[in-house]
Amino acid sequence: MKSAYFAAFLAATAVPALAEQPVTLNFVAEIGGAAFDCSQSYDHLGATHAQMNVTDFRLFVQDAALIRADGSQQPITLTANDWQHENVTLLDFENGAGHCAGTGNAPMNTVITGEVPEGDYIGVSLTLGVPFALNHIDPTLASAPLNTTGMFWTWQNGFRFLRIDFAPAGGTPMAHEGHGGHSDHGNASGWYLHLGSTQCAAASQTEAPSACVFPNRTTASFTSFDPATQVIVVDPAPVLRDADVTVNAPDTSPGCMSFPGDADCDSVIPKLGLAYGDHPAEAQQLFSIR
Amino acid sequence: MRKQLCLGFGAALAILAAVATAGANGRYIWPMPAWMPPPPVPAGNPMSAEKVDLGRHLFYDARLSRDGTVACASCHEQARAFSDGRELAVGIGQTIGIRNAPALANAGYVPQLTWANPHLTTLEAQALVPLFGEDPVEMGSNGREADIFAALAADPYYTDAFASAFPDRPVIDLFTVTRALAAFQRSLISLDSPYDRFKYGGDADAMTPAALRGERLFFDHRFECYHCHGGILFTDSQQTARNPAPMLGNHNNGLYNIGGTGAYPARATGLYEFTGLAADMGRFRTPSLRNVAVTAPYFHDGSAASLREVLDHYAAGGRTISDGPHAGIGAANPFKDGILVGFDASDAEINDLIAFLESLTDEGFLTNPAYSDPWPADHPARATRMMP
Ligand SMILES: [Cu+2]
Repeated sequence: MKSAYFAAFLAATAVPALAEQPVTLNFVAEIGGAAFDCSQSYDHLGATHAQMNVTDFRLFVQDAALIRADGSQQPITLTANDWQHENVTLLDFENGAGHCAGTGNAPMNTVITGEVPEGDYIGVSLTLGVPFALNHIDPTLASAPLNTTGMFWTWQNGFRFLRIDFAPAGGTPMAHEGHGGHSDHGNASGWYLHLGSTQCAAASQTEAPSACVFPNRTTASFTSFDPATQVIVVDPAPVLRDADVTVNAPDTSPGCMSFPGDADCDSVIPKLGLAYGDHPAEAQQLFSIR
Repeated sequence: MRKQLCLGFGAALAILAAVATAGANGRYIWPMPAWMPPPPVPAGNPMSAEKVDLGRHLFYDARLSRDGTVACASCHEQARAFSDGRELAVGIGQTIGIRNAPALANAGYVPQLTWANPHLTTLEAQALVPLFGEDPVEMGSNGREADIFAALAADPYYTDAFASAFPDRPVIDLFTVTRALAAFQRSLISLDSPYDRFKYGGDADAMTPAALRGERLFFDHRFECYHCHGGILFTDSQQTARNPAPMLGNHNNGLYNIGGTGAYPARATGLYEFTGLAADMGRFRTPSLRNVAVTAPYFHDGSAASLREVLDHYAAGGRTISDGPHAGIGAANPFKDGILVGFDASDAEINDLIAFLESLTDEGFLTNPAYSDPWPADHPARATRMMP
C-alpha cells in the first residue's frame, strides 16, 4: 500500500510532458485469411494446396514500438504480467483444445499492452524474437512467459521465437522424399515451422553465448497504423506459399526448424524477412495490418 | 539409507562405509575412493543424500513423461551402465531418436553433455532436453509440466522427499526436479573395475594375463588409443572439481565422408551443428571407456555393434561405406583427427585389447542397490514404464 501511495504521489507531481498514455496492440491469428481455430482444418496450404490441421500457434514479440510522423520510434513500456516480461510478449493463439491438445494449453493471449508518453503516433513496429539478453537464461528459474515449456528450445540454449505446427488433416501420414539411410528421421508426423537463433556456441565452456551466427530475429514495421481501430494479423499461409508442407526433406527436422541446410526452409525463412543459405531475404509476410 | 559399495580394497573401505549418507554435519560424502577428486558441482545445487535419493526416484519415474511410459531409466538401464543397448534412443510413442543413449557412469565429470552440445554444460540443463525436446520427442512433456508436478505432489513419497531435499525451496517445479535428477546422476560413480583393483587397490590378480597384455597395447604408440581415451576416466572430455577448466575432447573419427566432402549425415554433424565451422564437421565427444563392454552398440549413432567392430574401424583409420546415401571413405575424411592413421593388429592382439576393455567393467556399479529402481513393480511410477 505504502508504495502505491508514493507512486500516486509521484505521478501526481510529475511534469505534464511525462504523462503516459495506455496502448494496446490487438492481434488476430489467421490461416490463409480464415480465423485460426484449433478445431478447424485449413485448405490450400503451401505449393500443393494441402489440407492441414494446425496443432500449435505461438510466438514471442520483442521491442514493440509506436512510430512518430518523423519516423522516430517510441518503445512501448510493457505492463508486467504473465504474458509480458521486460520487453518481450508471448502471443498465444491456441487454446489447448481440438487439434491443439498435444502441446497446447488453455490460456491465450492476443494483445500487447503497455504505455507510451502522450504524443502523436502514426505507425507500429515489432520484432519476432526474444531479446538476446533473455534468450539464454536458465529457463528453470525464468518468470512468465519465459517459463513456457512449449516454447523451450533447450537443445539450442534458447527459446523458439515462433512455433506454428501443422499436421495432415484426416490423419494422412507425412510423405518422405527418398530414404535417408541409417539415421533417417523417418517418423515426422507433421510439418513444423519453428524459428529461433542458431549456432550460438559460446566462446568458452563456462560462458553463455555472446552472439549467434544466425540470430533470426525479424522486424515488421507499418507506418500507418491506429491501435484503436486496427489489428495486426499473423498468418503463416503467405510464408508457406511456395513450400510443400506434405513432405519432409530426408535427414532433416520435420518441417522447417531454422537449421541451416534444410531444404524445407529454402522458400520459407526468406518470407519471414530473413536470408537463408543462398536465398536472400524477401519482404516479411507473416504480419500484416487490417 | 546406509548403502555399501563392494569395493575390493582396504584403503577405500573406511570412506565407502558411509556411501551415500550424509556426514555428521549434513555434508554429502561421495561414494568414491580418496584418490579421486569429485566431479564439479554447480554452486546452486549442492549435493545431499536426500537430494540424491529424490533424484533416484525421479530418474525411475515414468510419470515425468507425457503418457507415463518413459522415464530416464527407459533409455538408461543400470545393468548396461545406464545405456540402453539400442542403436538409437526411443521416446514416447516408439519415436526413434537420432542419437545413441550415452552411458551415465561418472556423468558428473562430463563437461559437455550429450554427444557434442556446447550448450549443455550441466546435468541440470541437460535434463530439459529429454523432458521437453520435440525433435525428436523423448519424454514429450512440453506444455504438460503442471499436470506432471501435480501427479508427483499427490504421491506421499514426494511430499516428504522434496521438503527434505530442498528445505529452503520445498516446491515441485522445474528447478527442483532438474536439480534432483542432476544430483542423482552426479552420484553415479564407477571406479571399482578389475583394472582399478589392480592399479590402485594393490590386487595383483585382479586382471587376467590377456587384459594385462591388452593394457600394454592400449597405451602403445601403434594403437594410440590413450590419446583420446586417456586419464582415469579414459576420455579427454572430462572435468573434476580440481580442474579450473574442462578438457573438451571432440573428434572426427572417420565414421563418414559422404561424397568425399567430409560431410556427416545431416542430422548428426557433431559440433558443426552448433558452430557452423567446417573443421567441426563430425566432431563428437569422446566417451569414457569405463564399462564399455556392457554399453554396445557404439558411436553417436550406435552404428558399430561390437567392440571388435569398433577396433576394426580404428585399425582401418575410418569406415568405408560402399553404397547408399552415406557412401564414402571415412578414412579420407578431411576433418578426421590426425592421430587416427590406422594400425595392423593380429587377431590375438585384438582379443587382448578387448580383454583389457572388459577389465574396465565395474560389476558393483551395475548392481549397486543405491542406484537401482526404488519403486515397487505395481507402483504408478513404473507400472506403464517402458524399459530397454
Ligand atoms: Cu522445432
